[in-house]
Amino acid sequence: NMPEINVTPLGAGQDVGRSCILVSIGGKNIMLDCGMHMGYNDDRRFPDFSYITQNGRLTDFLDCVIISHFHLDHCGALPYMSEMVGYDGPIYMTHPTKAICPILLEDFRKITVDKKGETNFFTSQMIKDCMKKVVPLNLHQTVQVDDELEIKAYYAGHVLGAAMVHIKVGSESVVYTVSVNKYAKSHISAWIDKCRPDILISESTYATTIRDSKRCRERDFLKKVHETIERGGKVLIPVFALGRAQELCILLETFWERMNLKAPIYFSTGLTEKANHYYKLFITWTNQKIRKTFVQRNMFEFKHIKAFDRSYADNPGPMVVFATPGMLHAGQSLQIFKKWAGNEKNMVIMPGYCVQGTIGHKILNGQRKLEMEGRATLDVKLQVEYMSFSAHADAKGIMQLIRMAEPRNMLLVHGEAVKMEFLKGKIEQEFSIDCYMPANGETATVTTNPSVPVDISLNLLKREMALGGPLPDPKKPRTMHGTLIMKENSLKLVSSEQALKELGLNEHQLRFTCRVQLQDPHSDPDTLHRIYTHLKSVLKGYTIQHLPDGTVMVESIVIKVSSSAEDTNAKVLLLSWSYQGGEYFFTALCIVKRLMYQ
Amino acid sequence: MDRECVSLLPRVCEVLAASGSSLPDDTSLEKLLDWFTGLTKAGTSLLESCPCLLEFISTVVHNTALDPSILSFTLRLTGFVAVTEVAFKVLQESSVLDLVFNLQHWQEAGLWEDPCIRIGWIQGLRTMMQHPKALSFFVQADFLQPLLQLQTDKSLFVASAANQMLAHVLLSCQSVSSVGSNDVDEEGEDVGRSGGSIADLEYSAVTVETNQDYAAVVTAISECLKKSLVPRENTQLHQSLQILKLLALLLAQTRPPLWEKLLQMVADSVDELLVAGYSQLILPLMDVILAAYSSCDVNRRAPDQRVSRLLSFMLNIRKPADLIQAAAAFLRRGLHDLVHTAQSARVLLLPLDIITGLNLLTTTADEQRFLMMEQLKNKTSCISLICVCLTNTPQMTLMAADCLPCPPVLIVTAVLSLLKLCSGDSSSPSSSSSGCREVSRNVIGSSKVQKCALDALTALSGSPGVEVKLAEVFTLLVQCLDNPDSDPTVLQKSFQALVQWMSVCSDLSSITDQHRQDLLQVVRKRSCDIRWEVRDSTVEFLGRLAGVRVIQTTAEEASDASVAVLGGCCFTTPLLRAALQDTESYVRASAISALAQTLAASWQQGAALTQEQTEIVNQLLEVLSWDTEGFARRAVVRYFIAWLSSMSSHSCVQSPASSSLLMPSVRSVLSRGSADLDWEVKVHTLELAELLLDEAFSGQRGYTKGNPTQTHPYAVIPNTLHTRTHNEEDVVGVLNSLVQWGVVSALLSGLVDCDRPVALRACRLLITLREVVCPLSLGALDATAAMATVARVTCELPGCGWAREIRKMLVMKAKDANAEGGVSGGEVVNCDDCGEAGQEAASVGGQTPCVSVCEVLRSLDLDERLDVLTRSSDHVHNSPLSLLQDILTASSARSQPDTQQEVIADCY
Repeated sequence: NMPEINVTPLGAGQDVGRSCILVSIGGKNIMLDCGMHMGYNDDRRFPDFSYITQNGRLTDFLDCVIISHFHLDHCGALPYMSEMVGYDGPIYMTHPTKAICPILLEDFRKITVDKKGETNFFTSQMIKDCMKKVVPLNLHQTVQVDDELEIKAYYAGHVLGAAMVHIKVGSESVVYTVSVNKYAKSHISAWIDKCRPDILISESTYATTIRDSKRCRERDFLKKVHETIERGGKVLIPVFALGRAQELCILLETFWERMNLKAPIYFSTGLTEKANHYYKLFITWTNQKIRKTFVQRNMFEFKHIKAFDRSYADNPGPMVVFATPGMLHAGQSLQIFKKWAGNEKNMVIMPGYCVQGTIGHKILNGQRKLEMEGRATLDVKLQVEYMSFSAHADAKGIMQLIRMAEPRNMLLVHGEAVKMEFLKGKIEQEFSIDCYMPANGETATVTTNPSVPVDISLNLLKREMALGGPLPDPKKPRTMHGTLIMKENSLKLVSSEQALKELGLNEHQLRFTCRVQLQDPHSDPDTLHRIYTHLKSVLKGYTIQHLPDGTVMVESIVIKVSSSAEDTNAKVLLLSWSYQGGEYFFTALCIVKRLMYQ
Repeated sequence: MDRECVSLLPRVCEVLAASGSSLPDDTSLEKLLDWFTGLTKAGTSLLESCPCLLEFISTVVHNTALDPSILSFTLRLTGFVAVTEVAFKVLQESSVLDLVFNLQHWQEAGLWEDPCIRIGWIQGLRTMMQHPKALSFFVQADFLQPLLQLQTDKSLFVASAANQMLAHVLLSCQSVSSVGSNDVDEEGEDVGRSGGSIADLEYSAVTVETNQDYAAVVTAISECLKKSLVPRENTQLHQSLQILKLLALLLAQTRPPLWEKLLQMVADSVDELLVAGYSQLILPLMDVILAAYSSCDVNRRAPDQRVSRLLSFMLNIRKPADLIQAAAAFLRRGLHDLVHTAQSARVLLLPLDIITGLNLLTTTADEQRFLMMEQLKNKTSCISLICVCLTNTPQMTLMAADCLPCPPVLIVTAVLSLLKLCSGDSSSPSSSSSGCREVSRNVIGSSKVQKCALDALTALSGSPGVEVKLAEVFTLLVQCLDNPDSDPTVLQKSFQALVQWMSVCSDLSSITDQHRQDLLQVVRKRSCDIRWEVRDSTVEFLGRLAGVRVIQTTAEEASDASVAVLGGCCFTTPLLRAALQDTESYVRASAISALAQTLAASWQQGAALTQEQTEIVNQLLEVLSWDTEGFARRAVVRYFIAWLSSMSSHSCVQSPASSSLLMPSVRSVLSRGSADLDWEVKVHTLELAELLLDEAFSGQRGYTKGNPTQTHPYAVIPNTLHTRTHNEEDVVGVLNSLVQWGVVSALLSGLVDCDRPVALRACRLLITLREVVCPLSLGALDATAAMATVARVTCELPGCGWAREIRKMLVMKAKDANAEGGVSGGEVVNCDDCGEAGQEAASVGGQTPCVSVCEVLRSLDLDERLDVLTRSSDHVHNSPLSLLQDILTASSARSQPDTQQEVIADCY
């Protein structure tokens, strides 16, 4: 049986839902990401682990869980899985992700508790207990999960702390990555080695989109905020506690400074300080622009951004407020929205995607009359803007990644089926590799080259070294000659002499012969001489001898000429070679034949 | 059914049928189906209420160019519509049904490849199959074959759904056939429908002809099971696996004679499969055998001999890994079968016996031991086998003594020596043979085995007669805790095991001073570990230990384990106080909770306050004001809740000194906590306020502790609640002190909080307060007269934040009342001008306006507010109506592409 790698998405297979991808490689089972879907209020928000826990505990089945980054659709089901379903094995994520994850999980818990009838949901204690099981990853450091399974993280740049992971068992390997953005390439420890994995699993969210540059979007954002402030309006930016919020804060802070603006900017969540603290702590993980500015002055001690008090919303005059939660589910952002919605001078900027069932979703859809509690309606007169600051790569970025990593197969997840199909075609065409896009619950199987460990004798290695050439390099395979001995379930490569000795065998020489008929009017010795001179002129660098016994030798090939008694023109060329000479034989034969027909 | 929804549905159907791309997001169709499920469950006939669905289905089914998700939705929807016989007939007559479930139709359109179509097809059929007409349809259309094929579908979800469906079909057939024999039916758990389930069939409805049909289905399925059970080649293992899963479902649910028939059909194949010995099939095979076996158990039938034989075979397989799996599966079922239980226990103890060298089993077949030993020499399989064994040990020790080959104490010894092996200690008896040594090397440093063993050890604390091992367990756990290689989870589990053993054993006489010294040292060391996870577990341990009651021989009195083994507060408090300065907020929070737990005893005993406790309180108030993270602040409020509640429950021994510190602190906690940015701090603060309310009004007429809405209006109120007479002076005094403590402001500020849990809690408490001081049941005038004194109690409404919101509400209320010309709306705000400007002026001028508490309580429309707050915060926007509107808006937005920017589904 050929060894195979199986990849089964439980989520993110042909959709942009909760990511949860099972990989089995070399007898190990690994879960990549463990996300939740904000669009559901019941168990459907989590991946259905019953497909992998039948007859046993999750800990018995899984060897490890790897989380790529802190977004809830990638880590939101983690406490549910580890504390409620039950998983005690290792969970890996980078240091920043480990620090930030609990903030977002708490943020999400708040939204959930805010809704009615939330049972079967994790508590703060569960979030903590889950985080205690997390083993932090350093970039470029190989972590040995067990004797056979190793993982290594690379910078991905999608969001703070996002990572690509290289998973390796024996000679088989898989790379999993969130969409890498362009900053990754300019990052100090950027980019992945040319690791030629068996499968590269990549997100494909923006597979068909060629996006405006981030700078364009940023400029647009600042312009819109500025215009609103100038006309005396208020700007509401609903955000989640951490992520885009901090980057937008930095943008505004710098802009306010440059333009010498006076309107207040508020940040409404109690978690700001912690969030900022982490951005400071993990400054080396942030993108180049933030880092550059950070050198000039401490970006995270904001001069213009102040904590928000609920009564400020009623203050007259322009202001900008960042408020949680990000989809206008409930809470502070919704409260402020309700207050400001009636004034057309105001603006709400939605910096990310909103699931159905939220006010954010409705206003992005263009609804202008919202039904509120108690049959009241809310007229939305304020300006609604959608500005995605999502840091996903577009098709170009994904193609670049393939060029870098040179995978043998490609597998797409976290994208819409139609878009994946488009990208799949492009990849298969450009790189001539197979590209898979399994739906949720479907398994993509890739067979790999079996890896058979062979012991090699030291003498043989020394002899190869003596022959010259570079030192052994695992990334550059070389041909070696020797005899493979299979004995007692083990394989050994030794020199043929040693093999004979070990097995107590005598050496036998095999010679092969061949007769070629041709017409040649010259005498036999002349014909032989002609052959000799011709071979000498054509086969440079070979040992060619004309021996006194009337034979020509090309390396170990012996050539003799004889003619028949009836027809002296009809010559018979006798060729004979040992098995070692096989590779030269056909060259010599072709040349001789060509000569004869001249 | 909501009329508005019904009126929107035709347009929504049009939109969906016209173009699948107008969906707001990927959850929309699922949510629509949720709505239909709800309606069906409530007994609504979909076709009657929403006749447009028929047209929708027939339009969509002809348009195979639509998005597959819409087509899949339609297949599933058809199932819901056809769930009643009447609707089924309508669909059939309009020949929609034939086309919807016509496989060829989907295959020809090239859509069958899409797993969502296949799953839609199965689920649609499954939902519909609630009446004999549907079953006949199924039989006549010959859906059995494709369904059997789908069983091995490449999609996990499709295969599993197909299996469920097959089981459902067979069970339905059983029900129908059994109607004839007047058997009692227990099936029909499904979508409990109005339209008559198969179980409710009238006898006459089943004709001989249909009965024959069903018999044919049963035979076809069982034939197929028999035929496909044994794989002809390795690649067909997947099919066998699926068949086994189905068989397990069936044997657990069918009754004789079908049960008999099934078993008879497959018995030989199962035998064959057993002999073939496919390791991947061991667990599913065991499931089948156990399903059959338990079915006898449940139905109080004597175990079928064939089944018993199969079971014995399974528990005697040669391959060690398979054997262990089978034994573990048997034990998990917890069946009452002494012979097999004893056998399983022996199987599961063998690896432990080998690896630890302890004679857990007096006799074992040499061959079995040899095979197991060989298996254990492979590191990966050794670790996984040992883990399975460990997981099952606690359950084993609870079995009848005659099932166990050795006493539970010996099992504990084995787990302990395994833990020693893990940490590289080879002084255990296993070093006897070289084979054992080789095996035991495999577990050295394996944290997977350590975690499993520690879990087992924790659970084993409850096994009979294991108390004698306490000292040994203690020593070993302290060693684990001291080991520099232990990973954080191992340390956490060691701490947990230690607490558990002490709480179960309670008699700590075997713990020596050396033990205590060692523990002290290791706790001290771990409390300053470099990893926060470890520091946190250590701090949590200190807190939990304080909650464990134990007996010491020296002082016969019971004390807490913290005192008994760590010397109590003099050791723990300094450590915990140091942890208050930890850089990680989780640790700070745990330290605060642990402090509350360690000090609880002294609070309850009414001990005098020490200087240290005063310092702690000051430190905690600092944390509440300055800590940047919610966890620590939440813990501070909980600390005061614990303190206050322990004081009130032991009021007889309340020391005036501690009160003098407690009450002012509670006051500042209330004011800081209710202004906190974290919602949970605010919720906890309200809990503290509730305690004060309980304390103040306990026994007061009209005061019901806790949630007012939960009290039934006609509930009998216990006499104790009437012990205090309703004294207005008392109420005034109490209300005044509540205002002074800041309880009233905390409640009012909570009421207007933007976080629903906070507002809800505050609202409930305010209603409780209102009911005791100025119940609404008294008319406004009566109330004014009756509570003239109470009404004089006022509270301040400062000019900022929540108070401004409250004032606005009062002003609105007053305006409404005046507009109505009512009499109840008098001046509630006793500053001169109720207008906002006036209020601002009042605050600016340094005068904070005061309002009558009673009037505020009576004017805030608390009951209406409660009504809104008890609903889900997304009940409006996550409703079916809202969903339908969203679909319509999305479609109209799409028709004007210029005005909208594309929103791409993305990460959050």
